[in-house]
Amino acid sequence: MANARALVKRLKSVKNIRKITRTMELIATARFKKAMDRATEAAAYTKKISEIVADLSQVDLKFSHPLLEQRENPKKVNLLVLTSNRGLCGGYNGGVLRQAVPRLKEISDNEDQSLEVEVAGKRGIAFLKFQGYEFDRSYTNFEDQPKFSEIEPIAQRYIDGFISGEIDRVEVAYTKFESAGKQTAMLETLLPIGDLMTDTGEDDGEGRNVDYEFLPSAQEILEEIVPAAFKARLFKCFLDAAVSEQIARMVAMKGATENAGDMIRDLSQKYNRARQSQITSELSEIIGGAAALE
Amino acid sequence: MADGKLQLVLVTPEKTLLNEPADSLKFPLFDGLIGVYPSRAPMVGRLGFGELVIRSSAGDKSFYIDGGFAQVKGKVVSILTNDATTLDGIDTAALKTELAEISEQAATTDADQETKTNRINRIRTMLKLAR
Repeated sequence: MANARALVKRLKSVKNIRKITRTMELIATARFKKAMDRATEAAAYTKKISEIVADLSQVDLKFSHPLLEQRENPKKVNLLVLTSNRGLCGGYNGGVLRQAVPRLKEISDNEDQSLEVEVAGKRGIAFLKFQGYEFDRSYTNFEDQPKFSEIEPIAQRYIDGFISGEIDRVEVAYTKFESAGKQTAMLETLLPIGDLMTDTGEDDGEGRNVDYEFLPSAQEILEEIVPAAFKARLFKCFLDAAVSEQIARMVAMKGATENAGDMIRDLSQKYNRARQSQITSELSEIIGGAAALE
Repeated sequence: MADGKLQLVLVTPEKTLLNEPADSLKFPLFDGLIGVYPSRAPMVGRLGFGELVIRSSAGDKSFYIDGGFAQVKGKVVSILTNDATTLDGIDTAALKTELAEISEQAATTDADQETKTNRINRIRTMLKLAR
Protein backbone atom coordinates (compact mmCIF):
# COMPACT_ATOMS: atom_id res chain seq x y z
CA MET A 1 0.00 0.00 0.00
CA ALA A 2 1.60 3.17 -1.27
CA ASN A 3 -0.06 5.45 1.20
CA ALA A 4 1.53 3.93 4.27
CA ARG A 5 4.92 3.86 2.65
CA ALA A 6 4.69 7.52 1.62
CA LEU A 7 3.75 8.39 5.18
CA VAL A 8 6.78 6.55 6.54
CA LYS A 9 9.04 8.50 4.23
CA ARG A 10 7.53 11.79 5.23
CA LEU A 11 7.67 10.88 8.89
CA LYS A 12 11.36 10.18 8.58
CA SER A 13 12.12 13.48 6.91
CA VAL A 14 10.13 15.44 9.48
CA LYS A 15 12.03 13.69 12.25
CA ASN A 16 15.30 14.65 10.62
CA ILE A 17 14.18 18.24 10.31
CA ARG A 18 13.24 18.29 13.95
CA LYS A 19 16.71 17.08 14.85
CA ILE A 20 18.25 19.91 12.87
CA THR A 21 16.00 22.62 14.25
CA ARG A 22 16.48 21.44 17.79
CA THR A 23 20.26 21.52 17.38
CA MET A 24 20.07 24.97 15.87
CA GLU A 25 17.99 26.12 18.78
CA LEU A 26 20.59 24.86 21.23
CA ILE A 27 23.41 26.49 19.29
CA ALA A 28 21.53 29.77 19.12
CA THR A 29 20.94 29.63 22.87
CA ALA A 30 24.64 29.15 23.55
CA ARG A 31 25.58 31.94 21.15
CA PHE A 32 22.95 34.21 22.59
CA LYS A 33 24.44 33.80 26.04
CA LYS A 34 27.90 34.62 24.76
CA ALA A 35 26.72 37.61 22.76
CA MET A 36 24.68 38.79 25.70
CA ASP A 37 27.72 38.63 28.00
CA ARG A 38 29.70 40.67 25.54
CA ALA A 39 26.96 43.24 25.28
CA THR A 40 26.78 43.57 29.05
CA GLU A 41 30.52 43.92 29.33
CA ALA A 42 30.57 46.55 26.61
CA ALA A 43 27.94 48.50 28.50
CA ALA A 44 30.55 49.32 31.17
CA TYR A 45 32.49 51.39 28.67
CA THR A 46 29.46 53.35 27.49
CA LYS A 47 28.49 53.95 31.07
CA LYS A 48 31.91 55.33 31.96
CA ILE A 49 31.90 57.56 28.89
CA SER A 50 28.52 58.94 29.87
CA GLU A 51 29.81 59.48 33.35
CA ILE A 52 32.70 61.57 32.09
CA VAL A 53 30.34 63.48 29.80
CA ALA A 54 28.11 64.17 32.77
CA ASP A 55 31.16 65.34 34.70
CA LEU A 56 32.10 67.61 31.84
CA SER A 57 28.65 69.12 31.76
CA GLN A 58 29.20 70.26 35.34
CA VAL A 59 31.91 72.51 34.10
CA ASP A 60 30.84 75.74 32.54
CA LEU A 61 31.54 74.64 29.04
CA LYS A 62 29.92 75.23 25.73
CA PHE A 63 29.09 71.88 24.23
CA SER A 64 30.14 72.43 20.69
CA HIS A 65 31.69 69.85 18.50
CA PRO A 66 31.43 69.24 14.77
CA LEU A 67 29.76 65.89 15.43
CA LEU A 68 27.06 67.50 17.55
CA GLU A 69 26.17 70.09 14.95
CA GLN A 70 22.69 69.66 13.47
CA ARG A 71 22.63 70.37 9.77
CA GLU A 72 19.58 71.77 8.07
CA ASN A 73 18.49 69.97 4.92
CA PRO A 74 20.90 67.09 5.12
CA LYS A 75 21.92 66.34 1.55
CA LYS A 76 24.14 63.34 1.79
CA VAL A 77 22.70 60.63 3.91
CA ASN A 78 24.50 57.46 4.80
CA LEU A 79 22.32 54.49 5.62
CA LEU A 80 23.85 51.45 7.28
CA VAL A 81 21.71 48.33 7.30
CA LEU A 82 22.62 45.60 9.76
CA THR A 83 21.29 42.18 8.82
CA SER A 84 22.48 38.66 9.49
CA ASN A 85 24.72 36.45 7.42
CA ARG A 86 22.54 33.39 7.93
CA GLY A 87 18.88 32.73 7.56
CA LEU A 88 16.47 30.66 9.65
CA CYS A 89 15.98 33.43 12.15
CA GLY A 90 12.31 34.21 11.70
CA GLY A 91 11.35 37.78 11.04
CA TYR A 92 14.70 39.22 12.05
CA ASN A 93 15.97 40.33 8.65
CA GLY A 94 12.51 41.14 7.39
CA GLY A 95 11.99 43.53 10.27
CA VAL A 96 15.20 45.42 9.64
CA LEU A 97 14.63 45.61 5.90
CA ARG A 98 11.07 46.83 6.40
CA GLN A 99 12.58 49.77 8.25
CA ALA A 100 15.34 50.37 5.76
CA VAL A 101 13.53 50.09 2.43
CA PRO A 102 10.92 52.86 2.93
CA ARG A 103 13.68 55.19 4.08
CA LEU A 104 15.77 54.17 1.08
CA LYS A 105 12.87 54.98 -1.24
CA GLU A 106 12.12 58.23 0.49
CA ILE A 107 15.65 59.52 0.10
CA SER A 108 16.17 58.30 -3.44
CA ASP A 109 12.85 59.89 -4.50
CA ASN A 110 13.96 63.20 -3.05
CA GLU A 111 16.12 64.89 -5.63
CA ASP A 112 17.90 67.17 -3.17
CA GLN A 113 19.31 64.28 -1.24
CA SER A 114 21.86 61.74 -2.19
CA LEU A 115 22.19 58.42 -0.51
CA GLU A 116 24.98 56.07 0.28
CA VAL A 117 23.91 52.65 1.41
CA GLU A 118 26.03 50.20 3.33
CA VAL A 119 24.85 46.72 4.16
CA ALA A 120 26.22 44.24 6.63
CA GLY A 121 25.13 40.62 6.32
CA LYS A 122 24.56 38.33 3.36
CA ARG A 123 20.81 38.31 3.84
CA GLY A 124 20.45 42.05 3.41
CA ILE A 125 22.86 42.07 0.48
CA ALA A 126 20.89 39.36 -1.32
CA PHE A 127 17.60 41.11 -0.66
CA LEU A 128 18.70 44.52 -1.87
CA LYS A 129 20.34 43.04 -4.95
CA PHE A 130 17.17 41.17 -5.77
CA GLN A 131 15.08 44.30 -5.33
CA GLY A 132 17.41 46.17 -7.61
CA TYR A 133 18.79 48.64 -5.10
CA GLU A 134 22.37 49.66 -5.38
CA PHE A 135 24.63 49.86 -2.42
CA ASP A 136 28.07 51.26 -1.99
CA ARG A 137 29.65 49.00 0.54
CA SER A 138 28.88 45.66 2.03
CA TYR A 139 30.30 43.68 4.91
CA THR A 140 29.97 40.00 5.58
CA ASN A 141 32.57 39.69 8.29
CA PHE A 142 30.30 40.39 11.25
CA GLU A 143 29.10 37.29 13.01
CA ASP A 144 27.75 36.86 16.48
CA GLN A 145 30.79 38.44 18.10
CA PRO A 146 31.67 41.68 16.36
CA LYS A 147 35.05 43.07 17.37
CA PHE A 148 35.64 46.68 18.22
CA SER A 149 38.75 46.73 16.07
CA GLU A 150 36.59 45.83 13.05
CA ILE A 151 34.05 48.52 13.71
CA GLU A 152 36.41 51.30 14.62
CA PRO A 153 37.61 51.92 11.04
CA ILE A 154 34.00 52.21 9.87
CA ALA A 155 33.22 54.63 12.68
CA GLN A 156 36.35 56.63 11.91
CA ARG A 157 35.35 56.90 8.26
CA TYR A 158 31.95 58.27 9.26
CA ILE A 159 33.56 60.76 11.61
CA ASP A 160 36.01 61.97 8.97
CA GLY A 161 33.27 62.11 6.35
CA PHE A 162 30.95 64.03 8.61
CA ILE A 163 33.54 66.58 9.62
CA SER A 164 34.71 67.16 6.06
CA GLY A 165 31.10 67.54 4.92
CA GLU A 166 30.98 64.46 2.71
CA ILE A 167 28.26 63.01 4.91
CA ASP A 168 25.50 65.05 6.51
CA ARG A 169 23.75 62.32 8.34
CA VAL A 170 24.41 58.74 9.36
CA GLU A 171 21.48 56.43 9.98
CA VAL A 172 21.51 52.82 11.05
CA ALA A 173 18.74 50.31 10.52
CA TYR A 174 19.16 47.54 13.04
CA THR A 175 17.38 45.54 15.70
CA LYS A 176 17.64 47.16 19.06
CA PHE A 177 17.90 44.86 22.01
CA GLU A 178 15.64 46.11 24.75
CA SER A 179 15.30 43.00 26.85
CA ALA A 180 15.53 39.26 26.36
CA GLY A 181 11.83 39.34 25.53
CA LYS A 182 11.70 42.40 23.34
CA GLN A 183 13.75 43.48 20.36
CA THR A 184 12.63 46.16 17.97
CA ALA A 185 13.80 46.77 14.45
CA MET A 186 14.38 50.47 14.15
CA LEU A 187 16.03 53.30 12.30
CA GLU A 188 18.37 55.37 14.41
CA THR A 189 20.25 58.53 13.57
CA LEU A 190 23.78 58.27 14.88
CA LEU A 191 25.27 61.39 13.36
CA PRO A 192 24.83 64.20 14.16
CA ILE A 193 24.74 63.05 17.75
CA GLY A 194 21.43 64.32 19.04
CA ASP A 195 22.04 64.20 22.73
CA LEU A 196 25.19 62.98 24.34
CA MET A 197 23.47 62.41 27.62
CA THR A 198 20.70 60.10 26.41
CA ASP A 199 22.32 56.92 27.55
CA THR A 200 23.63 58.20 30.83
CA GLY A 201 21.63 55.43 32.39
CA GLU A 202 20.96 55.54 36.08
CA ASP A 203 22.50 58.45 37.86
CA ASP A 204 24.34 57.14 40.85
CA GLY A 205 23.62 60.43 42.51
CA GLU A 206 26.91 60.63 44.32
CA GLY A 207 29.86 62.81 43.67
CA ARG A 208 28.27 64.83 40.90
CA ASN A 209 29.89 67.92 42.30
CA VAL A 210 33.42 66.64 42.23
CA ASP A 211 35.85 69.36 41.31
CA TYR A 212 37.93 67.75 38.61
CA GLU A 213 41.27 68.63 37.31
CA PHE A 214 41.11 68.34 33.53
CA LEU A 215 44.24 67.38 31.67
CA PRO A 216 44.85 69.03 29.26
CA SER A 217 41.54 70.97 29.44
CA ALA A 218 37.83 70.29 29.60
CA GLN A 219 37.42 71.48 26.03
CA GLU A 220 40.04 69.11 24.68
CA ILE A 221 38.64 66.19 26.63
CA LEU A 222 35.28 66.95 25.10
CA GLU A 223 36.77 67.00 21.64
CA GLU A 224 38.18 63.56 22.22
CA ILE A 225 35.24 62.07 24.00
CA VAL A 226 32.60 62.89 21.40
CA PRO A 227 34.14 60.63 18.74
CA ALA A 228 34.75 57.98 21.39
CA ALA A 229 31.09 58.14 22.37
CA PHE A 230 30.06 57.81 18.74
CA LYS A 231 32.29 54.79 18.23
CA ALA A 232 30.90 53.17 21.34
CA ARG A 233 27.38 53.78 20.07
CA LEU A 234 28.04 52.30 16.67
CA PHE A 235 29.64 49.32 18.37
CA LYS A 236 26.58 48.95 20.54
CA CYS A 237 24.39 48.81 17.42
CA PHE A 238 26.43 45.90 16.12
CA LEU A 239 26.32 44.13 19.48
CA ASP A 240 22.58 44.66 19.78
CA ALA A 241 22.07 43.33 16.29
CA ALA A 242 24.14 40.24 17.10
CA VAL A 243 22.24 39.53 20.31
CA SER A 244 18.87 40.10 18.66
CA GLU A 245 19.76 37.81 15.79
CA GLN A 246 20.50 34.95 18.16
CA ILE A 247 17.29 35.54 20.07
CA ALA A 248 15.29 35.63 16.84
CA ARG A 249 16.88 32.40 15.71
CA MET A 250 16.29 30.78 19.08
CA VAL A 251 12.60 31.67 19.01
CA ALA A 252 12.16 30.66 15.37
CA MET A 253 13.85 27.32 15.90
CA LYS A 254 11.88 26.62 19.05
CA GLY A 255 8.70 27.18 17.06
CA ALA A 256 9.96 24.97 14.25
CA THR A 257 10.87 22.16 16.65
CA GLU A 258 7.46 22.28 18.30
CA ASN A 259 5.76 22.35 14.95
CA ALA A 260 7.77 19.36 13.77
CA GLY A 261 6.74 17.52 16.93
CA ASP A 262 3.08 18.20 16.16
CA MET A 263 3.53 17.02 12.60
CA ILE A 264 5.20 13.82 13.76
CA ARG A 265 2.31 13.06 16.07
CA ASP A 266 -0.16 13.72 13.30
CA LEU A 267 1.73 11.70 10.73
CA SER A 268 2.29 8.68 12.96
CA GLN A 269 -1.41 8.62 13.76
CA LYS A 270 -2.21 8.69 10.05
CA TYR A 271 0.35 6.00 9.39
CA ASN A 272 -1.06 3.71 12.09
CA ARG A 273 -4.53 4.16 10.67
CA ALA A 274 -3.36 3.40 7.16
CA ARG A 275 -1.53 0.33 8.34
CA GLN A 276 -4.52 -0.87 10.33
CA SER A 277 -6.89 -0.42 7.43
CA GLN A 278 -4.45 -2.27 5.22
CA ILE A 279 -4.41 -5.22 7.65
CA THR A 280 -8.19 -5.15 7.95
CA SER A 281 -8.69 -5.17 4.23
CA GLU A 282 -6.18 -8.04 3.82
CA LEU A 283 -7.95 -10.02 6.54
CA SER A 284 -11.35 -9.51 4.99
CA GLU A 285 -9.91 -10.54 1.62
CA ILE A 286 -8.62 -13.80 3.14
CA ILE A 287 -11.90 -14.47 4.95
CA GLY A 288 -13.83 -13.65 1.78
CA GLY A 289 -11.59 -16.00 -0.22
CA ALA A 290 -12.00 -18.83 2.34
CA ALA A 291 -15.78 -18.35 2.37
CA ALA A 292 -15.87 -18.56 -1.41
CA LEU A 293 -14.04 -21.91 -1.35
CA GLU A 294 -16.53 -23.59 1.01
CA MET B 1 39.48 55.08 52.01
CA ALA B 2 39.86 52.72 54.85
CA ASP B 3 42.54 50.57 53.28
CA GLY B 4 44.25 53.43 51.53
CA LYS B 5 44.26 51.63 48.23
CA LEU B 6 43.23 52.54 44.76
CA GLN B 7 40.58 50.63 42.90
CA LEU B 8 41.60 50.27 39.29
CA VAL B 9 38.94 49.73 36.63
CA LEU B 10 40.39 49.07 33.20
CA VAL B 11 37.71 49.16 30.50
CA THR B 12 37.86 48.66 26.76
CA PRO B 13 34.83 48.97 24.48
CA GLU B 14 34.59 45.19 24.46
CA LYS B 15 34.96 44.32 28.11
CA THR B 16 36.12 45.20 31.57
CA LEU B 17 39.62 43.81 31.76
CA LEU B 18 40.44 44.57 35.36
CA ASN B 19 38.65 45.64 38.44
CA GLU B 20 41.03 45.23 41.30
CA PRO B 21 42.81 47.09 44.07
CA ALA B 22 46.22 48.63 43.44
CA ASP B 23 48.80 50.50 45.50
CA SER B 24 49.88 52.83 42.75
CA LEU B 25 49.55 53.32 39.04
CA LYS B 26 51.65 54.73 36.29
CA PHE B 27 50.26 55.44 32.84
CA PRO B 28 50.86 57.70 29.87
CA LEU B 29 48.84 60.87 29.48
CA PHE B 30 48.81 62.81 26.24
CA ASP B 31 52.03 64.60 27.13
CA GLY B 32 53.91 62.17 29.33
CA LEU B 33 53.73 59.73 32.17
CA ILE B 34 51.61 60.32 35.23
CA GLY B 35 51.74 58.51 38.52
CA VAL B 36 48.67 58.06 40.69
CA TYR B 37 48.77 57.28 44.38
CA PRO B 38 45.82 56.90 46.74
CA SER B 39 44.06 60.14 47.73
CA ARG B 40 44.89 61.87 44.50
CA ALA B 41 42.74 64.87 43.63
CA PRO B 42 39.91 64.10 41.19
CA MET B 43 41.05 64.22 37.61
CA VAL B 44 39.92 63.54 34.07
CA GLY B 45 42.73 63.15 31.58
CA ARG B 46 43.36 62.19 28.02
CA LEU B 47 45.60 59.18 27.58
CA GLY B 48 48.43 58.68 25.16
CA PHE B 49 49.81 55.32 24.15
CA GLY B 50 52.28 53.38 26.23
CA GLU B 51 52.65 51.22 29.26
CA LEU B 52 50.26 51.06 32.17
CA VAL B 53 51.98 49.79 35.28
CA ILE B 54 49.88 48.56 38.15
CA ARG B 55 51.73 48.16 41.40
CA SER B 56 50.05 46.11 44.07
CA SER B 57 50.95 43.72 46.86
CA ALA B 58 50.56 40.84 44.41
CA GLY B 59 53.36 42.26 42.27
CA ASP B 60 53.55 44.48 39.24
CA LYS B 61 51.37 44.15 36.20
CA SER B 62 51.84 45.81 32.88
CA PHE B 63 49.56 46.53 29.97
CA TYR B 64 49.96 48.34 26.73
CA ILE B 65 47.17 50.91 26.40
CA ASP B 66 46.25 52.77 23.28
CA GLY B 67 44.72 56.17 23.94
CA GLY B 68 41.44 56.91 25.69
CA PHE B 69 40.62 58.58 28.99
CA ALA B 70 41.44 58.27 32.62
CA GLN B 71 39.21 59.35 35.44
CA VAL B 72 40.22 59.58 39.06
CA LYS B 73 37.35 59.97 41.46
CA GLY B 74 37.79 59.18 45.10
CA LYS B 75 39.75 55.98 45.21
CA VAL B 76 38.40 54.69 41.92
CA VAL B 77 40.63 55.10 38.91
CA SER B 78 38.86 54.31 35.65
CA ILE B 79 40.92 53.85 32.55
CA LEU B 80 38.96 53.78 29.33
CA THR B 81 41.04 52.74 26.42
CA ASN B 82 40.42 51.51 22.89
CA ASP B 83 42.77 48.64 23.23
CA ALA B 84 44.66 47.11 26.12
CA THR B 85 46.98 44.14 25.70
CA THR B 86 49.34 42.42 28.02
CA LEU B 87 52.95 42.94 27.06
CA ASP B 88 53.36 39.27 26.11
CA GLY B 89 50.39 39.59 23.82
CA ILE B 90 52.07 42.07 21.50
CA ASP B 91 52.67 40.57 18.09
CA THR B 92 56.18 41.76 17.28
CA ALA B 93 56.44 40.23 13.83
CA ALA B 94 53.21 41.81 12.61
CA LEU B 95 54.24 45.16 14.03
CA LYS B 96 57.60 45.06 12.29
CA THR B 97 56.01 44.47 8.91
CA GLU B 98 53.52 47.24 9.62
CA LEU B 99 56.34 49.57 10.57
CA ALA B 100 58.17 48.75 7.37
CA GLU B 101 55.02 49.39 5.35
CA ILE B 102 54.34 52.72 6.97
CA SER B 103 57.94 53.84 6.58
CA GLU B 104 57.66 53.09 2.87
CA GLN B 105 54.64 55.34 2.38
CA ALA B 106 55.37 58.84 1.23
CA ALA B 107 53.62 61.60 3.16
CA THR B 108 52.75 64.50 0.92
CA THR B 109 50.99 66.92 3.25
CA ASP B 110 51.71 68.11 6.75
CA ALA B 111 48.71 66.24 8.10
CA ASP B 112 49.87 63.06 6.42
CA GLN B 113 53.29 63.50 7.88
CA GLU B 114 51.81 63.95 11.31
CA THR B 115 49.71 60.79 11.13
CA LYS B 116 52.70 58.93 9.79
CA THR B 117 54.93 60.06 12.63
CA ASN B 118 52.23 59.23 15.14
CA ARG B 119 51.76 55.75 13.79
CA ILE B 120 55.49 55.11 13.68
CA ASN B 121 55.90 56.33 17.25
CA ARG B 122 53.04 54.16 18.36
CA ILE B 123 54.50 51.04 16.82
CA ARG B 124 57.96 51.81 18.16
CA THR B 125 56.56 52.19 21.66
CA MET B 126 54.80 48.86 21.33
CA LEU B 127 57.95 47.18 20.05
CA LYS B 128 59.96 48.62 22.88
CA LEU B 129 57.47 47.28 25.43
CA ALA B 130 57.02 43.87 23.84
CA ARG B 131 58.45 40.95 25.70
